[in-house]
Amino acid sequence: MGTDDTPAVAGSEITSDPDASNPESDPETIPGSIRESIAESVASRRAGYGAVGLAAFVAIWHLVSLTQPSYVLPTPAAVGATFIEEAASGGLTVAIGQSVLHWIPGTIAGTTLGVAAGVIAGWSRTADDLTSPVVRLLRPVPPLALIGFAIAWFGINHAGAAFIIAIGAFWINFYAAYGGVEGVSEDLLDVGRSLGISGDRELLRHIVIPAASPEILTGIRTGIGRCWMLVVAAEIFGVPGIGRRILRASNNLQVDVVIAYILVLSLLFLLVDATFRAVQRRLLVWRGEAR
Amino acid sequence: MTGSPSDEDSGTPLDEESVVPTGEKSGTPLDEGSLTADAASVPGEPRVEARGLSKRYDTPNGVVRALEDVSFEVADGEFVCVIGPSGSGKTTLFRLIAGLEAPSDGAVYLGGDRVTGPGPDMGVVFQEYHLFPWRTVAGNVRFGLEHADTSASERRDRVQRMIDLVGLSGFEESYPKELSGGMKQRVALARALAVDPDLLLLDEPFGAVDAQTKEMLQRELLEVWSETGKTALFITHDVAEAVILADRVLVLGSEPGHLQDVVRIDLDRPRDRGDPEFGEYVSLLRHRIGAD
Repeated sequence: MGTDDTPAVAGSEITSDPDASNPESDPETIPGSIRESIAESVASRRAGYGAVGLAAFVAIWHLVSLTQPSYVLPTPAAVGATFIEEAASGGLTVAIGQSVLHWIPGTIAGTTLGVAAGVIAGWSRTADDLTSPVVRLLRPVPPLALIGFAIAWFGINHAGAAFIIAIGAFWINFYAAYGGVEGVSEDLLDVGRSLGISGDRELLRHIVIPAASPEILTGIRTGIGRCWMLVVAAEIFGVPGIGRRILRASNNLQVDVVIAYILVLSLLFLLVDATFRAVQRRLLVWRGEAR
Repeated sequence: MTGSPSDEDSGTPLDEESVVPTGEKSGTPLDEGSLTADAASVPGEPRVEARGLSKRYDTPNGVVRALEDVSFEVADGEFVCVIGPSGSGKTTLFRLIAGLEAPSDGAVYLGGDRVTGPGPDMGVVFQEYHLFPWRTVAGNVRFGLEHADTSASERRDRVQRMIDLVGLSGFEESYPKELSGGMKQRVALARALAVDPDLLLLDEPFGAVDAQTKEMLQRELLEVWSETGKTALFITHDVAEAVILADRVLVLGSEPGHLQDVVRIDLDRPRDRGDPEFGEYVSLLRHRIGAD
């Protein structure tokens, strides 16, 4: 309670407020335009230093690789060449396509079920009491320990890999949604009830889920990242894709191929994460913050 | 809702009321003497009636009696303030009347019907605003209407009228985060009024804003009240605020919370804080609060 009682953040757009002169509005309020340009300069500073850091990283890698045989650490240039070669041969696209075939259904299934279960357990005391022993029992099981089940239930195929990925997404989303729903202020629910909404379904739809949406969206975003990491693990038992390609190259000591595909994973992750962050920012425009 | 603004100068029928005491309806007459019991009732059909309200909480340290046998009536269109020291059960009384909690004993009647839970017949305004942060000003005001039988165009008109009424035109698309405390409270008021409630119920609504904004909001609330003819029950710990606003003031005493006194404010509106009579009412109420 009272956490929403933040002091007024008066941007330039509300200075026409009839009581703008009241001592309540922050006297140190910075006009929006200045705030924006400060944010801009901070961003460009970050980008500048980031580029320097990245260049230094590649340079150190290059220097170290000169002292090592290529099966221990290839040069950045060699990795670049392999990358281009894989892309040109079409092997890269095939691997990405294969991984996506279990990454997408796995992530969607795990996220949906995790959010739903988390919302229900966070909302209903009975559901929470009923499930909490089981949750505590299953929570520590690493997704990889379930490979046996994946094979037995789904087989060595995309469905099996998707299952492993879904398990990883499930728990992150479960706890994020659970925490978000539990933290919804009872007072907001009281307001809703006094404005004529009643019943679990209406309260969930119109108050609980919107109020918990920042936590839920953060969970989804974390889960998406986690699932990319699980792609490698999920392919360990023979399902084709980027992970499988990395594992096979490792066995043949083709370190340049390994690094090239790791790079692919990173780039794909960055792409998906940036896309989701844009969605998240749009959905949470009411919070007025960029994370 | 016709007689509201004229009610303030109808301070005389005290004598008539004693002829029809509600004490017998409430079952347990107040121990404070007949004057209090009579002043707690109103002539005619009351808009709100509290009968023998008690609230006890079971805690690990035993039973806490928050409110004990509180009975009173509020007339249609009347503005009633509830004051009392902390621990006198003001917020408990608010929650019981709003239907947010069930009384341990007694009942609340709104327009003759027993209150069994919260609903849109009661417009509720909290101290901490409790706006929906993910909705714009217009979205907040619209919330209750979305769950009532209103057409889209009706809804739009009503939302705009409420926003104009509380002086927030131009901020329809702003989010609560962008508003000052005073503006947030105006949104909360507009949101509560939008569903056209039978009673406006406010729990220390201006407790979190600065003195200057508070006086402005009080003036605005009185304007809205006289314009809409709503019945208002206003909880506050600020004695001067009660004298500015109320037709009658219910004074709660503490441990356990009980109705200690009822004071009618016989001053014409707009009221002047510099008026000596105003000061007399303030010191009278201060005395009544402290005299427990």
